[in-house]
Amino acid sequence: MDISTTIAAILTLAIYSFLYRDNPVYKTAEHILLGVSVGYFVVITISNTIIPKLIIPLFVDGELIYIIPALLGIAMLLRVTKQFSHISRIPLALIIGVGAGIAIPAYMQAHLIAQMKATMLPLSNISNIVIIIAVLSVLVYFFFSRKHEGAFGVTAKAGIYFLMIFFGSTFGYTVMARISLLIGRIQFLLGDWLGIIR
Amino acid sequence: MAEANGKRFHTRHLIFLLMAIAVVLPLIFKPGLPLRVTKEVQDIYDYIEGLPEESVVIISFDHEASSLPEMVPMAEALLRHCFRKNLKVCGMALLAEGTSVGDANLRRIGAEYNKEYGEDYIFWGFRPQHEVAILALGEDITREFKTDYTGRPISGFPIMQGLRNYQNVAAVISVGDGDIPIYWVNYAQARYGVNIIPAITAVMATTMYPFLQSEQIVGLAAGLKGAAEYEKLLNRTGLATRGMDAQSTAHVLIIVLIAIGNIIMFRQRGGKRS
Repeated sequence: MDISTTIAAILTLAIYSFLYRDNPVYKTAEHILLGVSVGYFVVITISNTIIPKLIIPLFVDGELIYIIPALLGIAMLLRVTKQFSHISRIPLALIIGVGAGIAIPAYMQAHLIAQMKATMLPLSNISNIVIIIAVLSVLVYFFFSRKHEGAFGVTAKAGIYFLMIFFGSTFGYTVMARISLLIGRIQFLLGDWLGIIR
Repeated sequence: MAEANGKRFHTRHLIFLLMAIAVVLPLIFKPGLPLRVTKEVQDIYDYIEGLPEESVVIISFDHEASSLPEMVPMAEALLRHCFRKNLKVCGMALLAEGTSVGDANLRRIGAEYNKEYGEDYIFWGFRPQHEVAILALGEDITREFKTDYTGRPISGFPIMQGLRNYQNVAAVISVGDGDIPIYWVNYAQARYGVNIIPAITAVMATTMYPFLQSEQIVGLAAGLKGAAEYEKLLNRTGLATRGMDAQSTAHVLIIVLIAIGNIIMFRQRGGKRS
């Protein structure tokens, strides 16, 4: 067992001490996590993005076009100053414009068109019938321009039940995920640290 | 029962204790509960199994350290399958914390199968702004990643010969704990027609199922269970398989607790009415 395993185990136990109540040991571990995460992100961003994508092309390869993104990046950082914060709107506008331009057609294709196509199914088996009824009834539920009463109301009510089934399955999966995290930590504590399990 | 010992011991502490017991005991005694492989995981296995040798697969480690217990067994199982099939594996990360985890996983599993860095596998490193990074790989990989994770030019590695963009890639595996696999569907699948294999946390499963039904993804491996199913297909007992007994007992405990909670609620309601 190396020292890093013991440190990780102590920090895990420190975090789990919150299950009893909030305490300074938990707070210390939480602050270490935050500090390490931010430090790691900064180092990875500098070494894996800023150096190969900006410093090397601009200062080593002499590609002057990279001055533009460099200036836009600096303009973004001016957001922290009171006097020049308005300049940050230029790169921000560019990001929003380009982002929306990229995202809207992609989203339309991947979510709207592909999903609509996947809902146009032959009524040849139970699964297809359930999918079509569920999609239509949930859409009816989210149609608020007409009062939910009569046949319309019944369909909307069916939509609520389908939504509840979705929420239930999502909650079930969430529970599964959280238990998995606990299992992972206990495997670490009992296996890697204490060597009780293999 | 609300406070068994003044204000120091609450019902929730008892639940935490029961949960710890429900998880620890199966890990120690290993009852070996049965596990069934679902079609979603089988589809991924069959797809990778059907790829010709030397096909290129991108594996993107799109997760943070907080989800390692779910992500690592999944990544290990998929990497073992890829290396066993002699596929060429290109690693990358769209979240910073997945970077060193991905690099370590690739090197460790690659060493198990005597694979050479640069020839059989490579790790390109981390890129922020997932939309832009995913789209850029569709144009020219060597322009997006000029160097690998260690700073060496990637065009010099044998694995990169003939690998220009998604046209030369058989599949992208996104080992992700958030919505980044959806970005792969939006930008790599919808625009470039790449086959996407999401290996995700259980939390994200219901979000990804519509893409499975619309055949925008090859299959779906979700959570520790997905990883355990994959390990079963590989005939290998790993971290996920060993954890599944604990997962099952913990779920039984939660069902029992929900039932008890509901019984108490209905009894209290009945008491108030009477």
